Amino acid sequence: MKNQWTNYFSGYVQIKVTGKLIEPFLNNCVRQKVVIWNLTRQGSTTVTGYLLLEDIHKLRKIIRKSDCKLEFIGRKGFPFLVKRMISNSGFIIGIVAALVITLLLSNMVWKIEVTGANPKLEHDIRKELSQMGIKRGKLHFSVPNNEDIQSELMERLPSISWVGVRLNGTSYHFEVVEKKVVEEPKLLSPRHLIAKKKAVIYDYFIEQGQPMIKVNDFVKPGQLLVSGIIGKEGKTEIIPAKGKVFGEIWYKSHIIVPLETSFNVFTGENVTKYSLSLFKVTIPIWGFDKIQYLQYKIENIEKQIKFLKWDLPIVYRKQVIREEEEHIRKYDKQTAISIAKKTARNDLKAKIGEEAVIKGENVLHQAIDNGKVKLMIHYQVIEDIASPQPIVQGD
Amino acid sequence: MRKFRQQIKRWVTQKMELPADVMMDLPRVTMIGQIHIYIENHRGLLQFSDKELRLLLKQGQLLIKGEQFVLKTMLPEEILLEGKIAQVTYLDEPGK
Repeated sequence: MKNQWTNYFSGYVQIKVTGKLIEPFLNNCVRQKVVIWNLTRQGSTTVTGYLLLEDIHKLRKIIRKSDCKLEFIGRKGFPFLVKRMISNSGFIIGIVAALVITLLLSNMVWKIEVTGANPKLEHDIRKELSQMGIKRGKLHFSVPNNEDIQSELMERLPSISWVGVRLNGTSYHFEVVEKKVVEEPKLLSPRHLIAKKKAVIYDYFIEQGQPMIKVNDFVKPGQLLVSGIIGKEGKTEIIPAKGKVFGEIWYKSHIIVPLETSFNVFTGENVTKYSLSLFKVTIPIWGFDKIQYLQYKIENIEKQIKFLKWDLPIVYRKQVIREEEEHIRKYDKQTAISIAKKTARNDLKAKIGEEAVIKGENVLHQAIDNGKVKLMIHYQVIEDIASPQPIVQGD
Repeated sequence: MRKFRQQIKRWVTQKMELPADVMMDLPRVTMIGQIHIYIENHRGLLQFSDKELRLLLKQGQLLIKGEQFVLKTMLPEEILLEGKIAQVTYLDEPGK
């Protein structure tokens, strides 16, 4: 006997046979190997049964020879289901549209939460975010990844010292740590001011305390500059010394600038390819061109596609292939020297802080050797050399 | 001659303990309670209604009576009938 449920896939029909000589007709069917099942007598001249869809034309031949009439009264099974689906296509379109919409909505930014920021900063952050393309209703594909958002935000808004970016489902969480303006403690503990570095005193400005040095004095690191003990002998008072002591400090810097430098630069030419990865099988969607660049760098941007809260095994990938070119930069001797001086100066400035002033520079030594310019430069810098040292009160 | 052959067959079947339905072209009727009846080795359908099923056999006919008959399957030599079976009767060929 045949398994009944497989009939469902091939499709079957319910038939009604009317006539007087039904039994001979049924015998004929059996002889021609047309299987009819669930036969029931409906009246003296009618019989109903089920028949496989593929046997219909065989049955037609048999019925022509007999005196019976054949009627189809029902259609069942998968092929008819498909037909009905096509005729009721609105229903199917609805289902597909619902799935697509759910898929789209699951991959959208729905909420942006900012915590830890005051209202003004929060407003600024939201403004910057919307400028970067992070808005409610944006798809995750078009949004840069979290690290980029983080560095971009920290770069654009100097008043935040750290921002944590977390993508939680469809909502972004930004945890902001504001930069606090460091206020000098009002109540300073009693202290001296001592020298940080070896220097020659250039100038000083003391708010509180007893200066122990004069202009043009030479000081060593750790030497007392301003004493926190004031007053005449016997009537001394211990106070926190406060003030600035500017010293002239000599810096020597060595710098080497090669006359010829080769480095890779992007030419600006690029090709973007889009693909979908399904279970690690990559299917390209757009951008089928072959890459004709000699040198290039590939940047991969991958986005996981979500359905409601689950990650689907589908990854949307954008590949940007940028052409690179080797660029050789050549300097003549004069420009090399001036560039060397400039870089040395910038390096020094970064090292000594904002308040310091470079008073003078002298090139001590200059040589060209192996295609490189070597410079030794001497700088005179004026900077604050005072650093506090608490007075430890005995007894 | 035919009768003689039948007798030989019967004798062989009895002596050699061979299945009777194979040797003698007899119908094999399997019943499951009252609800199913399964007939193999028949020679065609003679009459079918919801109260009666008449089958042609090699010798004679088989008459099944009952209620709510449904022919579940019909294959060249097999029939599966479902319903409430009341009686199964063998009818001898008239005139023999």
